[in-house]
Amino acid sequence: MKPGRFDLVLAGSCGEAVSLLGGREEAKPVAGSQSLGPMLNLRLARPAVLVDLSACAELRGVTEEADSVLYGAALTHAEFEDGGLVDATPGWLPQIARRIAYRAVRNRGTVGGSLAHADPAADWVVTLRALGASVLLAGPEGARELALGDFFTGALATALRPGEIICAVRVPRRGAGARWGYWKFCRKLGEFAKASAAVLADPERGEFAVVAGAIERAPVALPEAQALIEGRADPRVVVEEALPFLPPERRALQATATARAIAALREGESE
Amino acid sequence: MTEFTVNGQPVRYSGEGRTHLADFLREEMGLTATHIGCEQGVCGACTLVKDGKPVRSCITYAAACEGAKIRTLEDYRDDALMARIRAAFKEHHGLQCGFCTPGMLATAYDIATRLPEADEARIREELAGNLCRCTGYMGIVAAIKAVLAEGPHVAPEPPARDAVIASARFGAAEAPEVVAEAAAAPVVAERPAPLTDGHRLERVARIDLPAESVWAVLSDIRQVAACMPGASVESVEGERVTGAMAAKIGPITARFGGTAFVTYEPAEMRGAVAGQGGDGSSRSTARGEVHFALAPSGDAGCDLTCEILYKLSGPLAQVGRPAIVAGVVDRLLADFTANVEAAARGEAPTASAPPGFARLILAALRNMVGRST
Repeated sequence: MKPGRFDLVLAGSCGEAVSLLGGREEAKPVAGSQSLGPMLNLRLARPAVLVDLSACAELRGVTEEADSVLYGAALTHAEFEDGGLVDATPGWLPQIARRIAYRAVRNRGTVGGSLAHADPAADWVVTLRALGASVLLAGPEGARELALGDFFTGALATALRPGEIICAVRVPRRGAGARWGYWKFCRKLGEFAKASAAVLADPERGEFAVVAGAIERAPVALPEAQALIEGRADPRVVVEEALPFLPPERRALQATATARAIAALREGESE
Repeated sequence: MTEFTVNGQPVRYSGEGRTHLADFLREEMGLTATHIGCEQGVCGACTLVKDGKPVRSCITYAAACEGAKIRTLEDYRDDALMARIRAAFKEHHGLQCGFCTPGMLATAYDIATRLPEADEARIREELAGNLCRCTGYMGIVAAIKAVLAEGPHVAPEPPARDAVIASARFGAAEAPEVVAEAAAAPVVAERPAPLTDGHRLERVARIDLPAESVWAVLSDIRQVAACMPGASVESVEGERVTGAMAAKIGPITARFGGTAFVTYEPAEMRGAVAGQGGDGSSRSTARGEVHFALAPSGDAGCDLTCEILYKLSGPLAQVGRPAIVAGVVDRLLADFTANVEAAARGEAPTASAPPGFARLILAALRNMVGRST
């Protein structure tokens, strides 16, 4: 199918993008168009104007900070996958990126676009939430920063205001003592996950997270994360209590994904 | 005006924003080696090379290709590695009907240059985004393995990147002209047959009012529509209602126009709505039934039980995963029962805006936080 009519304008900078969007509901920012493109072609989304951010140089850089690394929102999944970027983590980001969709999609799809689209089953949505990342936003009312826990408000829903764009993603640095696991169920390689779980144990910072993804809502950080990771809490019981809105068979899948993500984290410890 | 090169030839594109690269190459430039399959980024048939990397040209818009170097299969006529891959496809019977072959060749070239050490499992992983309806994967994988065994092959140069993110600037630019598009929806006049193969949801909502006063609202179809977020009634003739229902899910907006048949059993305080409609813009159709019943419960309250059956078809069905639809229904019902309660008290229902997801999720999260402490 062919999309409905829209004007596509290229922004050269964040500021230009924000003014082109003009805070209008009918204008949408786009970078790689790998999530929005199919919806446009199917005429499910019908914006009047697309503002293309992929050529904004300031959205394509990496800035190192003392405790974190700032990644430009228009960096592609493939750029993370290929390991050419400074990694805030002990090598986890390329592993996450490599399993997103397919290489031809990863060559155009961007980390910021994925977070803005907020598909509950998307890899960056679930994993960066677990890694304690935040997004830097620019809009008509100025710039602000939001933790991903506050940024995702639901399935395909975020706290982005009309005319606001994601400029960068801030990922906290993780030391050699930190451990990580991610598990997702896909019926076919590269498809959206049916259930996914991301776990983080960073004893140096005292941070522990177990995040449930692909639950068709915003990702949920499960309670008792440290107890789950240390094997003192049963994933089935915690998932049962924390995700009552899931059907029973889906909860079972979620508990298994959680257990396997935790097992993957432990395997990392023995390496 | 967008300027880029196709197979080394400069191109100035000034067409519509909605034209995707595959259409532009095939229709405007006559380069028909790029095949179009699904046009939604799933099948990989349209894969070609942009700036040295394989991309899907059906979800890449021509107007977004400023400064790009596009290479289609036609440009690989004299390329030694592609000649070797083509020969291997022929030797190992990786061609079949040939429809997926252009995308397969582009992907195979990428594997050969980027992943010289790939084993069969990795080759299959890399090919997962290219579908072959003839299921000729065995031959395709064997061909790529054979080419890899003769490697290493030269890799394309990675693109240069900028090193620093500047702070955002807020300038003022001229607003581009907006093109609006009218949506027309077909109206169905036939009473639908009972749904037997739809998704089923059941929900119970408690309303703190006597059942009789709630029933007074429910038995008036116009009041019911006024209470339903996103719904509007055009006409009521006997039990036939014509109207529309709007919904918004993230970037997706749908407006279903159609017909519903409403039946009531006042003595039992029960009823049913059966309807079908279409979203003219996305050519999606929806069929649904709602069976509702009111029963007194506790002190001066009642329970509204709704059994919902629905079936989506067309493009919306491909992204409308049942769990997402269930979330929308939950939010709709919560707003609907709150509005019914207000109407039964004689208050005006709150404005019927198309339901979004944000409030639904916040409510759900609040519920969860309440339960998990």
